[in-house]
Amino acid sequence: MEYLRRFATQVRTRLFVLLIIDNLVFLLDWWLVEHVFHLTGVELVAALVIVPALALTFIPWLSTRYLTQPTKLISEAILHLSPGSAEPVPAPNPASAHFGKELVASLIHDVYELATVADRYKSQSEHTDHLNAGYIASSLPVPLLILDSKQIVTFVNDCAASYLGKSAADLIGKDLYSVLDMLFTSDETLDKWLQDVRAHKATATNSWERVRLNPTDEHTLLLFDMAAYYNRDNPSGIETMLVLFDHTKAYSQDDQAVSFIALTVHELRTPLTLLRGYIEAFEEELGGKLDPQMKDFMFKMSATAQQLMAFVNNILNVARVDGDQLVLQLHEQHWDQVVRSAANGLALRAKVRGITLEYSIARDLPTVGADRVSIIEVINNLVDNAIKYSGKSSHIRITTKLNAEGLVETTVQDFGVGIPASAIPNLFTKFYRDHHNRAQIGGTGLGLYLCKAIVSAHGGNIWVTSKEGEGSTFGFTLIPYAQLTAEQKNGNTDIVRGAHGWIKNHSLYRR
Amino acid sequence: MQTTPGTNLGKKLLCIEDEHFIGELYTRALTNAGYDVTVEPDGQRGLALALTDEYDIILLDLMVPSLTGIEVLNKLRDPATAPHLHAKIIITTNLEQREEVRASIEQQADGYLVKAEITPRELVEFLSNLAA
Repeated sequence: MEYLRRFATQVRTRLFVLLIIDNLVFLLDWWLVEHVFHLTGVELVAALVIVPALALTFIPWLSTRYLTQPTKLISEAILHLSPGSAEPVPAPNPASAHFGKELVASLIHDVYELATVADRYKSQSEHTDHLNAGYIASSLPVPLLILDSKQIVTFVNDCAASYLGKSAADLIGKDLYSVLDMLFTSDETLDKWLQDVRAHKATATNSWERVRLNPTDEHTLLLFDMAAYYNRDNPSGIETMLVLFDHTKAYSQDDQAVSFIALTVHELRTPLTLLRGYIEAFEEELGGKLDPQMKDFMFKMSATAQQLMAFVNNILNVARVDGDQLVLQLHEQHWDQVVRSAANGLALRAKVRGITLEYSIARDLPTVGADRVSIIEVINNLVDNAIKYSGKSSHIRITTKLNAEGLVETTVQDFGVGIPASAIPNLFTKFYRDHHNRAQIGGTGLGLYLCKAIVSAHGGNIWVTSKEGEGSTFGFTLIPYAQLTAEQKNGNTDIVRGAHGWIKNHSLYRR
Repeated sequence: MQTTPGTNLGKKLLCIEDEHFIGELYTRALTNAGYDVTVEPDGQRGLALALTDEYDIILLDLMVPSLTGIEVLNKLRDPATAPHLHAKIIITTNLEQREEVRASIEQQADGYLVKAEITPRELVEFLSNLAA
């Protein structure tokens, strides 16, 4: 800007000087006509018209040439670099500028600078033009699959074909789900995402962790992360691109950690099974002969063994939940029978603490889709908690009914110490236990975490309402079996679900 | 919850189980409930006993020596080896099974029990319900 200002001043002064000269020429002309030459008639007219006319032509011509010289130098610089010019223009010398040297030099420098940048871009794009996109795709060292809008595989790269143990020809033209029977760790499956983006987005990306492909004849168990790119109405028909990142080794090591826990739990269960069996035998053989205190001890021994067994089962199940290995089979269950059978097992534990379990089970409940063993653990955990936090109160109420949404709702209500409002949001978190009660009441903080995982895997909800000093109510819902089967049209009687375990990509609940 | 021995009286039960204490506990509870119980810890010998078709109920542990429970089950469900077997077969195990394995075993058997999940008394109840 400084150069430009100086340049403008220089132009102004030079223009001013030229105008003064122009005027002086007129004055000189006039003075000569008046005082030196004594002209008459035609001579006088010629002197007063032709001389000023010549001056008026010559001086502007000279001044224009002089004043536009810097512009000319800059133009020469541009022309010098232009590839399109008919004849080559030599590079200008900024030092030859009559005035405004700094501005000219700086502008010429800028012109050359810009030209270099443009050249660089040009050479880059020429370079990448040589790289064929198809070549990159097919030689990409990670599996890549491309799908059209009907989820038909239109391209797989070499890496994908070898990863899946099939030839590209076997994969192309097939429905994605027939070649990749993926299981996801949550309901947020690829399929669900695609439905969502097709409705709302032009382009989108997403990724998933721990996607699982069960072993087939062509490949072993595969575990991978996956990234997807979606582009609606892509002119070349490439709607979705999937890239897989194999983590089979790392993720199956986690599975082995679960196996270690499974083994440990098995070793613990065998002696516990025997212990419970022998305690039961004692009760039956000695029941009538024991004095009340001994009988009470016997009860306590039995209840404690049960509690230990419940804890051991919780450990195993939490390990499965965390390793995405808890797989549930939802069968048709008469819910009242399941609740009663669970409660029978719990009555003893309650009785030891002087607590009675009260039931209110609605008549004519529809059957539910549930994994019996797992859902009984949910009831066990909720009632166990109710027993632990009952304080001085002496009863727990278990209620089952059909709620307004047509779901089977079960609540376990205690009248004990209650839960502070601040603790409620964290209750279903692993290892979370209420600080106020931690010292007095034993537990691992695994139970509610597990309950939530199991109930969610059943498609239900779990919640709590509580007031300090008045007690807590834990509730969960289950989906009636008829509703589950109606949503699943393939007629398979078993409904397999994971507890944030494996969810089939083509969700049973979608079709 | 005590079942009357009368209903089960004379029913012959074969328990293929190598865990001695489990065998002892089950024998006690089942005998009290009226069953005529035989415990056999070996898979091969257990299969031979089962094939005599003298038993009404067979409790089959999956982890037994010489022949696994699954092998015994397959033989007992094979029309070539056991064409007319009338016994109900109940699998008893403590093993963590993969779901698909468990499902296939359950299909062939009349019941599937995880020993850790039931006490002997509950086993007796289960068998009574099975008969009913």
